[in-house]
Amino acid sequence: MNPLEILIEYWPRLLDGTLMTLKLTILGALIAGLVSPSLALIRVHAAPMAQAPLRLYVSFMRGTPILAQLFLIFYGSGQFRPTLEEWGLWTFFRDPFNCALLAFALNSTAYQTEILRGGIMGVPQGEIEAAKAIGMSRPKILRRVVFPHAYRIAWPALGNEVILLMKASALASVVTVFDVMGRTRQIFSRTFDFSVYLWAALVYLCITAAFVLLWRQAERRLSRHIHAPGMPRASAQPFKESQA
Amino acid sequence: MTKPETILKAEDIHKSFGRLEVLKGISLEARNHDVISILGSSGSGKSTFLRCLNFLEIPTSGKVTVHGEEILVKNGKPQNVRHIEDIRSRLGMLFQQFNLWTHRTALENVMEGPVQVKREPKADARDRAEALLKRVGLEDRMHMYPSQLSGGQQQRVAIARALAMEPDAILFDEPTSALDPELVGEVLKVMQSLAAEGRTMIVVTHEMGFAREVSSEVVFLHEGRIAEQGPPDEMFTHPKTEVFERFISKVK
Amino acid sequence: MFEIFSYGDAGWGDEILRGLAITVQLAIVTLPVGLLIGFLAAFASLSEFRPLRALGFGYTTVMRGLPEILTLFVVYNGVGLLLNLTLRWWKPDAPPTDFSPFVAGVIALGMVFGAFAGEVLRGAFQSLDKGQVEAGRAIGMTDRQIFLRIQLPQLWRFALPGLGNLWINMLKDTALVSVIALDDLMRMTKVAVGVTKQPFTFYLLACLIYWAMCVLSEVVLARMEHRANRGIRRA
Repeated sequence: MNPLEILIEYWPRLLDGTLMTLKLTILGALIAGLVSPSLALIRVHAAPMAQAPLRLYVSFMRGTPILAQLFLIFYGSGQFRPTLEEWGLWTFFRDPFNCALLAFALNSTAYQTEILRGGIMGVPQGEIEAAKAIGMSRPKILRRVVFPHAYRIAWPALGNEVILLMKASALASVVTVFDVMGRTRQIFSRTFDFSVYLWAALVYLCITAAFVLLWRQAERRLSRHIHAPGMPRASAQPFKESQA
Repeated sequence: MTKPETILKAEDIHKSFGRLEVLKGISLEARNHDVISILGSSGSGKSTFLRCLNFLEIPTSGKVTVHGEEILVKNGKPQNVRHIEDIRSRLGMLFQQFNLWTHRTALENVMEGPVQVKREPKADARDRAEALLKRVGLEDRMHMYPSQLSGGQQQRVAIARALAMEPDAILFDEPTSALDPELVGEVLKVMQSLAAEGRTMIVVTHEMGFAREVSSEVVFLHEGRIAEQGPPDEMFTHPKTEVFERFISKVK
Repeated sequence: MFEIFSYGDAGWGDEILRGLAITVQLAIVTLPVGLLIGFLAAFASLSEFRPLRALGFGYTTVMRGLPEILTLFVVYNGVGLLLNLTLRWWKPDAPPTDFSPFVAGVIALGMVFGAFAGEVLRGAFQSLDKGQVEAGRAIGMTDRQIFLRIQLPQLWRFALPGLGNLWINMLKDTALVSVIALDDLMRMTKVAVGVTKQPFTFYLLACLIYWAMCVLSEVVLARMEHRANRGIRRA
């Protein structure tokens, strides 16, 4: 078969796989995105002893292959089947999609926490002081000054992390989730036609490209304050002080 | 003339960083319409003292009273922490590095306090913010971000931001020392007009001209203590202590 | 209860150690291949010659956007296919040969490493102080001398943190080759799981081994960075 015939015959499956890849990536990134801000705050402010478990978690997640993490959750849960059944959790762990999502969310949480920690530490101390000086309460300072600023700093790195997560989601195919990679392997095992891999590559590249564009668009909106159009500065002095 | 009311009173403020005692018991009283300049060489503790007044730096011990609201500090622990935010919202503060929120426009910077801290309606806060920015001469820069403004303009936005809180007194922490010389004038001019309006101001500064011409009282700190204090004319013409005499001769 | 980890017939210790040896071999063989590809990619994307620059840019962009496991399958199946095609064209009656999963792993991981390393090295080149190159020219050094004596030693310092990260990523990515049936640490773990029916215990053990390797790498890398930064004062 020529490459186009493969596409014509199998595009519904590839599309199906694409949606699955997007679902895994977006849900995983979102769950991690919801958990990481509070963990990042702990990493910045909590006493070293209180941070120890969190640091261990982050180090473990960064120091082991995602594939091994996925196997640990998906296959490893089998070892505790009776207990999990008792708690009514077995139906959750039996499903490869759930396990993949859990593994990716846990993994991405570790990375996002560290990225956001960097962002929080990059917020100029002076801006926090200015907020204190007008009498803002701590929660309000976090909400109005620290996090808006921290996300602006962390934005590009967070985007990279989402792309890494998207690529890692291809591992779900190994535990029989039918994402792009899973569908591709399925089609290849039937047709032995190599071109399906090239189509898969194209799908992944398109997702990445679309995401990069979207993320940059958002970044441009977020960082209007740095390169907004308009009048030139009234002075030649570069104002790096406010960043100091 | 009635006796002017006391706005801010600091009593026996001590501050240590580790074993280093930076403030060794400083007391200061600011009455309505006072403009107090705090002078001193670097390391004299003048900025630390100012920051103790609104608890950006927690004193090791001492007492600060703002408009009857008092906070007593013992062993580095303020007795009623709740009042700190309250006191801060009554005292405006200007920083050496302006510390504008870089992700908000000039107007948003000025509106932030009234809307978020004082819970004023947005429309009112906007009107007042616009008026204040106009007052500091920035009506045409309201929608710009700090990165698009010069240092002098940023500091003027910061002044408008402080005024928007309708503070009882304003603390200035070397407001012009991060500015290029040609930009210092515009900020001093605004400060001078605030003084003329009768605002209560406490100013840590290196600008001898300002201390001499504008302030009603000068406080000279040396090694964590008040070495000399009085009306500027008298102090500058007849310095009582040798350290202050040396200080002014060096600055000239 | 630790019997299952023991060495010999009763336990899985020896099998897992053998798997670990394959994993380490794979990573160590991949490193120079990946660095070579990385240098080529960096030179290409810094080249004055536009098509070459486009090639370098295209390669690093595409490779970095693809899942590593896809790259591995493309190399394993694709190169295997190509190999057999050429073989048949060369000698029509030759039996089909299997493409070694080890070589496929080295090529695929090397290609991925190379793409990321290309970016790291390009960044390092661009952060080199231009004045030093001019100083080299001023005393009459050739371009080759400038590269070897001035740029390369400093390049190392700028590139080391980035390359260190890539090494750790690659070490973890070696786990993927278990999917194409190379008997690495991951796959030997899987075999042990199949027999002992203790998946959590063994996958946790595998995780701990990878973790130990990564932490060890980090320690060594920190030392190397420290050495590379001798004579540089930090502001």
